[in-house]
Amino acid sequence: MIARVLLLVWIAGWILMAFFWAPLVPVLGETTRVLYFHIPAAWVTVLALGWSMAHSVLYLRRRRMEHDHHAAAAAEIGLLFCVLATVSGSLWAKAMWGSYWNWDPRETSIFFLLLVYAAYLALRGAIEQPERRARLAAIYSAVAFVTVPFLIFVVPRIYFSLHPDPIINPQGKLDMDPRIRIAFFAMLLGFSCLFFWMQSLRVRVARMEHRLDES
Amino acid sequence: MPSNGSSSGAAVWAILRKECRSEWRTRYGLNAALLFAITTLTSVSFAVGRLTDRVDLLSALLWVVLLFAALASMSHAFVREVEGHTLTLLRLVASPTAIALGKLLFNLVFLAVIESVAVPLYLVLMGAPPPRWGAFLALLGLGSVALACATTLVGAVIAQTRGRGALFAGVALPLLLPVLAASVSGMRSQWAGGPITAEARLLAAYAVALFGVSLLLYDHLWED
Repeated sequence: MIARVLLLVWIAGWILMAFFWAPLVPVLGETTRVLYFHIPAAWVTVLALGWSMAHSVLYLRRRRMEHDHHAAAAAEIGLLFCVLATVSGSLWAKAMWGSYWNWDPRETSIFFLLLVYAAYLALRGAIEQPERRARLAAIYSAVAFVTVPFLIFVVPRIYFSLHPDPIINPQGKLDMDPRIRIAFFAMLLGFSCLFFWMQSLRVRVARMEHRLDES
Repeated sequence: MPSNGSSSGAAVWAILRKECRSEWRTRYGLNAALLFAITTLTSVSFAVGRLTDRVDLLSALLWVVLLFAALASMSHAFVREVEGHTLTLLRLVASPTAIALGKLLFNLVFLAVIESVAVPLYLVLMGAPPPRWGAFLALLGLGSVALACATTLVGAVIAQTRGRGALFAGVALPLLLPVLAASVSGMRSQWAGGPITAEARLLAAYAVALFGVSLLLYDHLWED
């Protein structure tokens, strides 16, 4: 209970800090603030995908339904954050680049993640028997994981990116004002905690559903 | 349960021969796939007309036609076993890996047959400039191998779900996007006279990675 209230205060507080304390970046202007929302959402998307895939592989090795609950829950939450990251990025692109969607490499890779999540959940929806669903979804998840590095290498080779790169840049250094950096990492931490909290809720619900099905 | 011996080359070869023979008896899948490829080709050709000087569009549309043809037909090999209730018997005589490898080879042959009809027809109907055959065939071959690896595994998964056909395209597409991107860009530089080594290497690496993961996962395909 206390942890949840603390998380709420933490995120709300840092949103206020982002508006009234952190400075704006010269070129980006007012749109700088999408940074505190969009990048953490994208980060949670990737985190959830990794979490889901790790548990899928664990399921194939150990055959415990617990891992399947984790994989499914992370995929659902990941899809939610993926939509948030896509929509916030698209709105930002309209403000800065003048169009909502232009198949920029970053747009392509986030769209790919959306497709993977959607396909994974659609696949789960089409299988009734729990063990079979867990096994087949885990297989799909493991194959999808192979494609991720390729998309990172294929897409930039073919398209040129306009996406600002304070975080994902070739030099591998953080190019930010210290105050922006602090607010940004605080939001990143807040979003990660939010993910793990939602994840634990969803897993508990799945566990109960599983127990009800069995009895 | 089958021992290691039955996943050997002999079992894979037997599965491939059995697939070819049962396909040849009805030719239902082959006819449907060919007709589908030709339908896609015709609609593309009608919609855009002849494209003698737009190599970017030519390479994109060629792969769209091939992708559609593959999506329409590649799940067939496993769905047929499930619908005919023959999968259990098949699993009694061969290991999952042998079955999947046999089906993968069959899908490759199947894709090659479709391409041998659809690709020449495409080049003629669209008025494409003559390709550099070496580069063209290399890209086509590598793309097909990657396409077959991805669709065989997804087909085996999809065959065990409800509403088999409908899901296949949506579930296979995320795995095929890198293939599509690399093959289209390779084809474009092939027609433009540029090098294709980077794309060919990417396609080969992708096919090898998919094949390797498939080999690890085939054993988990059936268990109940």
